[in-house]
Amino acid sequence: MTEDDFYRTSSQFRLWSFTEDSLRSLRQNTNSLASDRVRDALRRAREARQSANSSAAGTPNPNGSDADSKPGDEKDIECLTPEEEQELVRYYCEQIVQLGESYKPPLPTIVRATAIQYLRRFYLTNSPMTYHPKTIMPCALFIATKTDNYYLSLRQFAEIVPGDTSAEDIIAPEFLVMQSLRFTFDVRHPFRSLEGGIMELTAISQGLAQPAPHTPQKTADNLQRTMLSLPQPPNTNQPSSAASISDRLARAHHNTREILKSAAQMTDAYFFYTPSQIWLSALLLADRPLAEFYLDTKLSGPKVDKSPELTQIRTKLLTTLNTCAILLQSYKPLASDPDQKKALRRIGKKLYHCQNPEKVNLAGQKRIPAAAMAAAAAAASASDPATPDSEMERLAKKRKLESEAKRRDDIFGGELVMERTRERQG
Amino acid sequence: MAFSPLVAPSPLATAPLKKSAVSGPANPVQENESFPQLQGGADREITEQLNDEVRHKYIKAKKLGEGTYAVVFLGHLRTDPSSFVAIKKIKVNTEYKDGLSMDAIREVKYLQELSHPNIIALHDVFSSKDQNLNLVLEYLPRGDLEMLIKDSNIHYGLPDIKAWMGMLIRGVWFCHENFVLHRDIKPNNLLIASDGEVKLADFGLARSFADPYLNMTHQVITRWYRPPELLYGARQYSGAVDIWSVAMVFAELLLRVPFVAGNSDLDQITRICEAFGTPTEDNWPGVSKLPNYIPADASHLVPVQGRDFFLRQFPTAGPVGAELLMSMCTLDPRKRSTAYQALRHNWWASEPRPTNKEDLPRKAGGTKKMGDDLTRRGGELDDQFKNAARQLDFSAMKA
Amino acid sequence: MPPSREAMVHRGDEDEVCPVCKSSRYLNPDMRFLINPECYHKMCESCVDRIFSSGPANCPVAGCHKTLRKNRFRKQTFEDIHVEREVDIRRRVMTVLNRREEEFDSKLDWDNFLEQREEIIFNLVNGIDVAKTEADLQKYASDNMRSIRANQALEAKEVTSFQERQNQEQELARLRRQAAKEEYENERKEILAGREDVLTRLASGRPADAATIAREGQRVLLKKSSARRSEEERIRLKQAALRGTDAKKPGQPAAAAEEGGSGLIKGLRKIKTPEPEKAYDPFGGMVPNQRDYYTLQDHYPSTFLDPVRQDTRMLAGGYDLREYYSRTLLEAFAGLGCFIDEEVSKREGNAFNTMKPVGTQGAALAATSDSQAGK
Repeated sequence: MTEDDFYRTSSQFRLWSFTEDSLRSLRQNTNSLASDRVRDALRRAREARQSANSSAAGTPNPNGSDADSKPGDEKDIECLTPEEEQELVRYYCEQIVQLGESYKPPLPTIVRATAIQYLRRFYLTNSPMTYHPKTIMPCALFIATKTDNYYLSLRQFAEIVPGDTSAEDIIAPEFLVMQSLRFTFDVRHPFRSLEGGIMELTAISQGLAQPAPHTPQKTADNLQRTMLSLPQPPNTNQPSSAASISDRLARAHHNTREILKSAAQMTDAYFFYTPSQIWLSALLLADRPLAEFYLDTKLSGPKVDKSPELTQIRTKLLTTLNTCAILLQSYKPLASDPDQKKALRRIGKKLYHCQNPEKVNLAGQKRIPAAAMAAAAAAASASDPATPDSEMERLAKKRKLESEAKRRDDIFGGELVMERTRERQG
Repeated sequence: MAFSPLVAPSPLATAPLKKSAVSGPANPVQENESFPQLQGGADREITEQLNDEVRHKYIKAKKLGEGTYAVVFLGHLRTDPSSFVAIKKIKVNTEYKDGLSMDAIREVKYLQELSHPNIIALHDVFSSKDQNLNLVLEYLPRGDLEMLIKDSNIHYGLPDIKAWMGMLIRGVWFCHENFVLHRDIKPNNLLIASDGEVKLADFGLARSFADPYLNMTHQVITRWYRPPELLYGARQYSGAVDIWSVAMVFAELLLRVPFVAGNSDLDQITRICEAFGTPTEDNWPGVSKLPNYIPADASHLVPVQGRDFFLRQFPTAGPVGAELLMSMCTLDPRKRSTAYQALRHNWWASEPRPTNKEDLPRKAGGTKKMGDDLTRRGGELDDQFKNAARQLDFSAMKA
Repeated sequence: MPPSREAMVHRGDEDEVCPVCKSSRYLNPDMRFLINPECYHKMCESCVDRIFSSGPANCPVAGCHKTLRKNRFRKQTFEDIHVEREVDIRRRVMTVLNRREEEFDSKLDWDNFLEQREEIIFNLVNGIDVAKTEADLQKYASDNMRSIRANQALEAKEVTSFQERQNQEQELARLRRQAAKEEYENERKEILAGREDVLTRLASGRPADAATIAREGQRVLLKKSSARRSEEERIRLKQAALRGTDAKKPGQPAAAAEEGGSGLIKGLRKIKTPEPEKAYDPFGGMVPNQRDYYTLQDHYPSTFLDPVRQDTRMLAGGYDLREYYSRTLLEAFAGLGCFIDEEVSKREGNAFNTMKPVGTQGAALAATSDSQAGK
């Protein structure tokens, strides 16, 4: 088995790799189905209220629950676009990083990265309009702690999750999330790959490397000499000398890793590229001459030139790595981008109006039906059980309360995570 | 009254119930029109549709076994009643408040990634209406190695053992090549396919390995097959742990009884010392630093057993086979053969040639055994007790 | 010329008299008759001695001018000299046309060959087109000398190794056969018991029942023996399977047509180099450590890893940095040459991919949900 054979058997390659077109159409499809459903649901809600009003005529409508969604509203309901959904999901991916940071000790990078990929995979076939990311995000992170062997009890985990999120709330959508992940839990990350590459580059820098299978002519000496005479990456002005090669490697290592932790997670890189392509692209961004040299140690020289197959791979690889690098470079962190924040606020407001009312508690009731039943029954008896639209009413109330609570800072609860983090750090 | 919050949001599970709940009141016609999706099941996410597609591929035929952890059914493809599968339905454990249990997560996670003739194939996973997890596994109707070892009516010889060991080590090698430790290798986790192929099953204790500075638990692997480093509480270990288990299976195949069968962890380590020699800083540098190391009584030091011992103890294996066995149960895990080294051993090329898998001895009643094997919870605690019980009551072993 | 049919029809009546010297068995009870496959004329042993001891001579039967040699005289096996002759012809043709079933591409070709062979035999026996047939046969024999010999050798080997193999099988299948034998014993006892039962019942019963009882007994026997036969069949199949590799080992049939076709026979397999039994591959066909991009080393310098190298406890537990090296380097390059945009658009079977054409599939999905949402 070659290196590539190992990757081809992975579920990531089998189920979670897409061309740009196929990914776009999948998202489009998910979005349009969800939009249809939201419109239908809101229509039904309105009709239910009307029929309730007519059948229970005379009963005063408590608390004016119609205030939020008048019968006419639904016509104007504007649903999220696939792009807006993506923005929103990305925001919650950033929240995973934040939330992971607030644990003591912080959750490992890998666990967070796995959770981010879970969330991204989840929203390929689900819409934020159906399942709000704020309920899915903590669950994805908790699943990641389990699948990546960083075990915390749900109770421990829940303590750090901000807001009034209970352990039950976190675990409630677990099955839903797992089903959407198509029960594949293994995520192939580029982090360990980076370690391997840096390890080998270090060996080369010390003249301890062995030539790669297709480049037998490159001896340890020869590799080391070439490496030491590499031009510096454009954005540094360090003198080139043997003494600094370890610094250079350390710098490249660190910068590449930062890209892998951020840009690689927040873009579609995992869907379009393999981990080894991702880390090498990130290395290209961090230190282009070094990355190109490293590729040359694998795929250049007489043997490669003589083999059409290897030459072809080399050509394709260079194109692929460059397009991947461009994708990674396109990433702008939310914190440094006021426009994005503004856009997010707008999307959040929009989502508030096009959230599917029938699904608000669905996740919660799916996981532990009995418990959910009990909770629902309790809720029902608390309000007037004779009122036919008690559920809708309850939702409306809940929404109102929520929106009031959020108005302080932002429209969606996820930002609480940031607040909480700030508090903890402060 | 018209529709209670109790049932409304869960269209899938409670559809019929809902209908009756809904149809009582004043204007049923309108209500049926208002909530058509709740009855029709069209209101399904893409995910649910995908899941249903998978679910509808299979038909559950009859129950093969039931344990605390899972129920196993015999099933087949809807399109082809002759292509059997085993459907392992994992019970949602309501006492387990932390969601899906780790056993299930591990099993699904690793089986989704590993595809090899000597590893049980996971064809599909789907959820059933009651939100249970269903693993569609390869159907392995010929029981397991434990069954063959313990059935005194079955006679097998060195070529058969060689064939089984080859298949077992290949499966383990493939796991290790993919950096997955199995951590529960024992005869009843080695199931047999209809063509005689041995398949490594039950990945409930599996995990990936090789990262430094990461602690792993030492409470894994059923005791009789557990290597000394785990009995000494090592938290960082390697593929060598599985190799020890493989060696114990090898010994058991040769002797037809478990080779070192302790009835407590302490007893286990004592028996290992008696059988293979006492671990010391000389034969196993650093052993005394392991967390649960117990210094050996200086008066009872057993020297590390050499080739002669293995030849004497396992005459059937022949000199080359005995040497391979010895290399796989070296006390010091660093000196133990890896799966790769074991497969490179010249035992495979030496006479007799391994039996062709189709010609291996077989035994009836394997289907039920598969049911039992797949419903057992992996590895540790309860299995230990079971084993202890089994050891006392040998008549129970023929089950 | 072989004797005419007419002439031979009455032979039977004259069996006791030598057609050459006319001496009769009645007078000489030790008299033995011999024939020669050249003409199949029968004569007594003393005539053969007398006429052919000094070398080849013409057949003494009137009108037959075949030159016969003494060493080819032999005893007649079959009473009917026609059968005797046909058997001889058959034997001769079969030693030449000794193709084996596995040499043919299909069952049909094999059947066609068998039929062709029968036809040749028939022609020779009945004197149809003899010259041409003989010539064809001759040509075939010289063209396919090698394969004829090889197949002969194979056959001989099969015969000689049969005993040997059976011993081996017996060893391998000892238990199974033991069981079968016991069952057979039991069955035999049952049969005997059954017979006795029938007899006793017959003895005690009314004569009218006799037929019924006998039939019943027969049926029981049949049922049991068919059960036994299926058991035997199972054992036989099992043994055939066991033999499977062995039987092939003596050599594949000496592959078909030499120099482009045997002429006479159609449908022979193209020459295939016989596959010798492959050596046992402990890796089951997978090539270990096949790498395109790196050569794994036993040691890599790393300050991050140095503490591990010093950590006796970690090392004593078996933690092995080589596994870490191997994993990180594998992951550094796993999938480097997998170009998703190419491979994913090519492959099939991904459930998501079936949804790819939004226009169609998406519409279909929407349509189903619409229709089910039913007005």
